[in-house]
Amino acid sequence: MSVQDLTNAIISGINAGAEQFLEGTLAAVLPVIWLALLGLHLGRPYILDMINRFTLRLGADLLWLIYIALRDFLILSGVVMSFMFLFPDVVTTDSLPLTGGLAACCLFAVLLVKLMGDPDNNLRDFRIVTGLLGLGAALYFIPYVIGVQGNAVFSGGLGNISNFLVTNTNASWAVGIGYVSIALFAIMGAIAAGYTLMTGGRAEVPDTTTPTTSI
Amino acid sequence: MKPDDISNAITQALVQGGAAWMISTIVAFLPVLWTTALMLHLGRPYVLRTLRRCGLRLGADIWWMSYLLIRDAILLITFALSWIYFEPNIVANSALPITGPLATLFLLLALAVKLSRRIDDDVNAYRLATVFLVLGATLYYGPLVFAVEATSQSYLAGFAQAFTSNTNVGPALVIMWISLAGAALVVIWLFVRALISANRSMERQVRQRQTPTTMEAAAGGR
Repeated sequence: MSVQDLTNAIISGINAGAEQFLEGTLAAVLPVIWLALLGLHLGRPYILDMINRFTLRLGADLLWLIYIALRDFLILSGVVMSFMFLFPDVVTTDSLPLTGGLAACCLFAVLLVKLMGDPDNNLRDFRIVTGLLGLGAALYFIPYVIGVQGNAVFSGGLGNISNFLVTNTNASWAVGIGYVSIALFAIMGAIAAGYTLMTGGRAEVPDTTTPTTSI
Repeated sequence: MKPDDISNAITQALVQGGAAWMISTIVAFLPVLWTTALMLHLGRPYVLRTLRRCGLRLGADIWWMSYLLIRDAILLITFALSWIYFEPNIVANSALPITGPLATLFLLLALAVKLSRRIDDDVNAYRLATVFLVLGATLYYGPLVFAVEATSQSYLAGFAQAFTSNTNVGPALVIMWISLAGAALVVIWLFVRALISANRSMERQVRQRQTPTTMEAAAGGR
């Protein structure tokens, strides 16, 4: 082995190791983010109850804004960190939950509902958001617990199911689900961009059907 | 192999590997920044809706200020980190999306719209910035997902070869130089605009300062 061979081996070791470490860290942090955002979303009645007890409007406003900012920032982080589920190389190399990409789509759909609707004041929109978060959590946690974290424990039929639910032991499904997720992301992204272009970034769509009346 | 050789190999590996790691970390982090920037920009109607519900002016101001700061800072950081797409050695040697420099140019155009027009008051300026950002993001994500991050997929080999910078160096460098020229034009335009604007505002201030002085001189003369 020459000095250059050794140098190249160490360089590729550093890069491959650092990449896998980064992806592993993201995969380990994602369940925490999912749990925290679910906790904050489901804890809405508790926050509202607390806001009603404030005697000063400033404190109530600040609590509500911090709550909304934290909750939505976690949803946004969840979507951003789930981007690795869309990369074919990553899903075929790393041990990730099989339906993680679809869970990310649910999170993105939540953001779309928040953009186009008003889940904090409209019951229908709130129900849609809650349903999407529940579905996303199921799509993430079931393959994560049974597959990624349980494949060393299960054997036989359960072992097969466990292996099926992990991306690098079921690469063809993982890549296929990745493409479906990319298509869903692209469609929802186009809807979000179209909506924002239509409204021009304003809070509501200008009502063009109402005739203007001169007073 | 002597101990000195091993020591040299480790030193070189740490230096070269560290540089390569830094570049690959930036490349891996850029999709995160692009997505966040896009979401924050597109999420403006939601932020405005939340802002309207604030009972106090202070809460609304804090909310809006935080939104603006985070949104624009992320856009600027994304552009700053995307500078690697304008470095020929990196473009030729690293696996980058071939249209990354064009995406960076569109990001700069969105920033230029923000700097030259009041996009938070002017609907058309906001739409223009949105179009630039969406185009930039599309040019970034497409080759990243289906070329750079899809080398394991044999049926995408042709696409991956064509849209990855270090496997299609000639066109990658052409795209890079064209984008760099575009970026230089935008920066020169911003520079000239800033100078003209500063000249106008400062001339006005100097005139305002001089007016009472001439009046005082006239009064002293009497």
